[in-house]
Amino acid sequence: MPEGPPAALGAPPVGETGEGQALLAAATRRRSTRRPLGVVFWICASWVALMAALAVFASLLHLTSPTAQNYSAVQVGPGVHHLFGTDDLGRDLLSRVIFGSRVSLVVGFAPIAVGLLVGGSLGLWAAFRGKAADAVVSAVSFTVLAYPALLAIIVIQAFWLPRALWKLVIIFSVIASALLFVVVRAAALSYVNREFVLAAKAMGARTHRILLRELLPNVVPATAAFALIGVATAIILEGSLAYLGLSVSLPTPSLGNLINEGTGQNLLQSDPWITLWPALYIFLLLIALNLMADRLRAAFDVGEGRL
Amino acid sequence: MGDAADRYDRRGFLARGASAAAALGLAGVGLPTLLDACSTSPSPSSSRTPGVGTGTPRRGGTVTIGLNSEIDGFLPTASHFDNSGLTYANTVFDSLTRIGADGRAHPYLAQSVTANTDRTVWTVTLRPGIRFHDGTALDADVLVANLDALRQSPLTAQAVAPVSAVRKVSDLAMQVTCDEPLVAFPYYLSTQIGYPIALAQLDAANSTHPVGTGPFVYESWEPNDHFTATRNPHYWRPGLPYLDSVTYKPVADDQSRENALRSGSIDMMVTRDPNTIKDLRDATGFQQVADLTQRHGQTDMDFIILNTVAPPTDDLVVRQALAHALDREQIVRLFGAGVTEVSTSLFPPGSPYRPADNGYPSYDPAKARALVAQAAPNHGGTLSISLDTVTDPRLNEIIQAVGNMWQAVGFTVSLGQIEQVTFIDNLVTSKFVAYTDEMFAAADPDLNYVWLSSTTANPPIALNFARNKDPELEAALQRGRTSLDPSVRAEAYQTVDKRLAADLPYLWFSRATWSVTASDSVANFNHMALPDGSPDQGFAAGVATPTPIWRTA
Amino acid sequence: MLRFAATRLLRLVVIIFLVSVGTFFVVHLLPGDPTVAILGPNDTPSARAELLKQLGLNKGLLAQYGTWISNVVHGNLGASFLTKQTVANALGEAVPIDLELIVFSQVIAFVIAVPLAMVAALRPNRAFDQSATVTTFGLYGLPAFVIGPLLVLGLAVHGHVFPATGWTRLSQGLGSNLRSAFLPSLVLGLGSIAIYYRLLRADMISTLQEDFVVMARSKGLSTPYLMVRHVLRPSSLTLAAGAGINIGTLFTGAFVVEALFSLPGVAYILVQSIYSDDYLMVQGMALVAAVAFVVIIQLAEVVQLVLDPRIRRA
Repeated sequence: MPEGPPAALGAPPVGETGEGQALLAAATRRRSTRRPLGVVFWICASWVALMAALAVFASLLHLTSPTAQNYSAVQVGPGVHHLFGTDDLGRDLLSRVIFGSRVSLVVGFAPIAVGLLVGGSLGLWAAFRGKAADAVVSAVSFTVLAYPALLAIIVIQAFWLPRALWKLVIIFSVIASALLFVVVRAAALSYVNREFVLAAKAMGARTHRILLRELLPNVVPATAAFALIGVATAIILEGSLAYLGLSVSLPTPSLGNLINEGTGQNLLQSDPWITLWPALYIFLLLIALNLMADRLRAAFDVGEGRL
Repeated sequence: MGDAADRYDRRGFLARGASAAAALGLAGVGLPTLLDACSTSPSPSSSRTPGVGTGTPRRGGTVTIGLNSEIDGFLPTASHFDNSGLTYANTVFDSLTRIGADGRAHPYLAQSVTANTDRTVWTVTLRPGIRFHDGTALDADVLVANLDALRQSPLTAQAVAPVSAVRKVSDLAMQVTCDEPLVAFPYYLSTQIGYPIALAQLDAANSTHPVGTGPFVYESWEPNDHFTATRNPHYWRPGLPYLDSVTYKPVADDQSRENALRSGSIDMMVTRDPNTIKDLRDATGFQQVADLTQRHGQTDMDFIILNTVAPPTDDLVVRQALAHALDREQIVRLFGAGVTEVSTSLFPPGSPYRPADNGYPSYDPAKARALVAQAAPNHGGTLSISLDTVTDPRLNEIIQAVGNMWQAVGFTVSLGQIEQVTFIDNLVTSKFVAYTDEMFAAADPDLNYVWLSSTTANPPIALNFARNKDPELEAALQRGRTSLDPSVRAEAYQTVDKRLAADLPYLWFSRATWSVTASDSVANFNHMALPDGSPDQGFAAGVATPTPIWRTA
Repeated sequence: MLRFAATRLLRLVVIIFLVSVGTFFVVHLLPGDPTVAILGPNDTPSARAELLKQLGLNKGLLAQYGTWISNVVHGNLGASFLTKQTVANALGEAVPIDLELIVFSQVIAFVIAVPLAMVAALRPNRAFDQSATVTTFGLYGLPAFVIGPLLVLGLAVHGHVFPATGWTRLSQGLGSNLRSAFLPSLVLGLGSIAIYYRLLRADMISTLQEDFVVMARSKGLSTPYLMVRHVLRPSSLTLAAGAGINIGTLFTGAFVVEALFSLPGVAYILVQSIYSDDYLMVQGMALVAAVAFVVIIQLAEVVQLVLDPRIRRA
């Protein structure tokens, strides 16, 4: 089984030197002639931007308060007064979904961002350095992952009161950093002993330059896929915590505790809208993010061929 | 209430008569007299009463019952018998007395429970010839050992505190002496402290392997998975039980339990969730018994408990404001699924202990607002209440609604979800302001003494969680405990109800309803005759008894 | 080879040790102590003190840790303060459940995800790929506590094919064991499908661009043969890493499924024990979960090394 692309044929991974700098320039030049991102990308991007904007500017919109209860409009289906309907306490669902998305978006993106920054850079570094440094950092991150997260979450959410969103974000960030460390390291390892990296080292290139220029671009595709799944996982994990009573304090809405609220008390039969809207929201968000990731990969991946 | 002392003696005679009838039933000769005695008015076979079997009982078979919780052990001196615990106890043990359909305590494992004229000395006489599952005899020595252990255990000592001396008077009789009259003693013997266990289990303090006198013998217990017991061939009640074995499965989630019942993995289930009760009430292929029809003693209540010694709820005006702001009807309408009923009294309608009007605050938000304005300056300007509950979807919604009602009249409310064990710990150590809770089911009001008394309201550990000390309430509780005159007792407990409504350690909203639902092939799950021939109370407050059950073909 | 095994073993021991320390101290951070759960409302100060002494909890933390870890090394994990069941016994009952759940759910996940990814990678962003993405994400986006009840409603309650709750042990018959394991494994596996699908697909698309593939095609190799024989292997790196972590955390990650189906697995017992301050049970369960994680990660690493010798170090 061939070990890798024969050096003579076709487009090499980004950064393969022989003439490192020249090729890099070529790659930069190539960017302007790359495939356009496409309509799908822009639709998804607009959707995500819209979701983010709604979340950020939620209080400026003329929405009923997400916590305003109205006992004469309990379990009402979608209609003129309540576009998404109401829940079992008469609260407007559209408003609850929008305000709930704030918590979910923060819990989804912040830990992954931190994880990429901390875990990702450590992963590149550890893969490159190898030996003792790699062994130590790997051991630490594996310890973090081996540690029963449930225990930490219960201790922090149930006993370190008052509950606050940032505490949840911290736990998620720690785990995300460890995860992304492992992923990025694994992806980087397949490039670390390649000729272009060894050549750069031999040429005396500084470590951070090698990491940024040679390794990083090659690990982006796999890492991006994983990171986006991480966002999805974090958002859904918040939902599972809501099921266990360990998410944000009531009555703050979050997509997770909305879904949870809608599955109890036989509400799925009498008022499925409570669960439906937040589930749909999460679903569309995941699809949009992944379609965007695909388009990005397609655009930046050099020489995408078809079998 | 009648002459309780004589009644218990006459039971002995009737008990023997009932055994003969049961023997007839065994032989399959016509309809057993037992069932005749306790069946309701003649009705066509198509409209049967749920839980009441008709026709000849069939022997054999097994039943799998889904419970709402798992217990921590089978040792009455150390384990906590909630409704599941008592159900298990009814399987492998027997209680000395049982509550009948008339609401009174009838001798069950005991042959008689008699007292002297002023009810300070009680004599429990056992039936001859009863053996534990390990073959040892049930006699006065064992009974005395059991009661002594209960008095010494920190868990149960409070419950038997009035007892000052216990001694054996004959092979089968034990005498219990109290400093003061203890009118409700027979009722005590129908609770956790009334289930005698074999010396082998008692001396070893073994909580995982029960050895009792009950209808079924322990076979295996995997905590949180299942508990199985097989038929006791030497059971002291002739002809019973009918089943070969019974298995219990704890399923915490009500929806899962309902699904298990509907899919056939369990045959019978217990629940107190109104939505589940409603769902199963009219389901075809199932029969349901709910305990709303139970009209004796004290009912199980859903309420909010307020800490009367911590600010700001230590202020009576604040408590009154909270009570006036609570729209009970709305809460029950939103969350009762049409199953639970609003209640502001510990006692059901028709009870002699229920006052005509106990003065409980009505829903009056304007008045509440005025009271808030009145009390706020004394607490730094704002009244902050933290209202917490356990992790349960329905209770979570309830506290959001209640919090909303309180905020509408000017309180600042923060809500929280707390896990069960921590919840109980906080109740006991007074680390709460307002919690939702559910309890108080009792066959006789005196059984709830420890939860309401001023004597149990002291730090650091208090069984009276609300820690209210009310001399008038305490005096009334004492009168109820020690008075032989039924009219004095009635007045005493009416006073208890009125004092609770005035002092407001508890904000009642409704009566908690328990139900048991079984598939059609499980017969007679709620119909049993006591040894004296009178009908058993049946399912109440989540406690089931597997003894009379049989499977139809 | 020997050196490799030695370093890996050392790492395993170090990680387990660190996790045990971490768990021990965090557990003791919990407010309250087992006396609350054991004595309940009758937790008088003297009874408490007596009980704490009996349980050996009145000594300093370091001393307690020392006692515990030396017991563990000698094979004694202790017992539950509440039910008195030994931790080893409890593990013996809980671990087989989780093992079977994990194996069954992952088989389901791989059997669905791998072929899907292969077909999708051949025609990225076309109809098949888009619909597979949408479906797997739809399943992924619905949390277990939504999918679970829906599946139960359909297959258990109405279909009467599978039990709605509970676990039948292998000792009671393979057929009923598999039937009781199916629904929970399905719910658990569905969550993994989207992950595996995306990871494998991403790597496969990259691999398909490499020139050895073009060359192999030009040699006349058929697509299926090529995909399975030549493309799958080098594309499985990230999948192996991701699967390793996913599977490794399933011991504690299966909690929601265990709660839904009333399966007394490791996670369920862990959580119950945390809340009742049943220290030894928590520490024992956490230790086992950590060991499982490290072993699985190690296996995943071995798989990665086999798949791509380039990442092997000297």
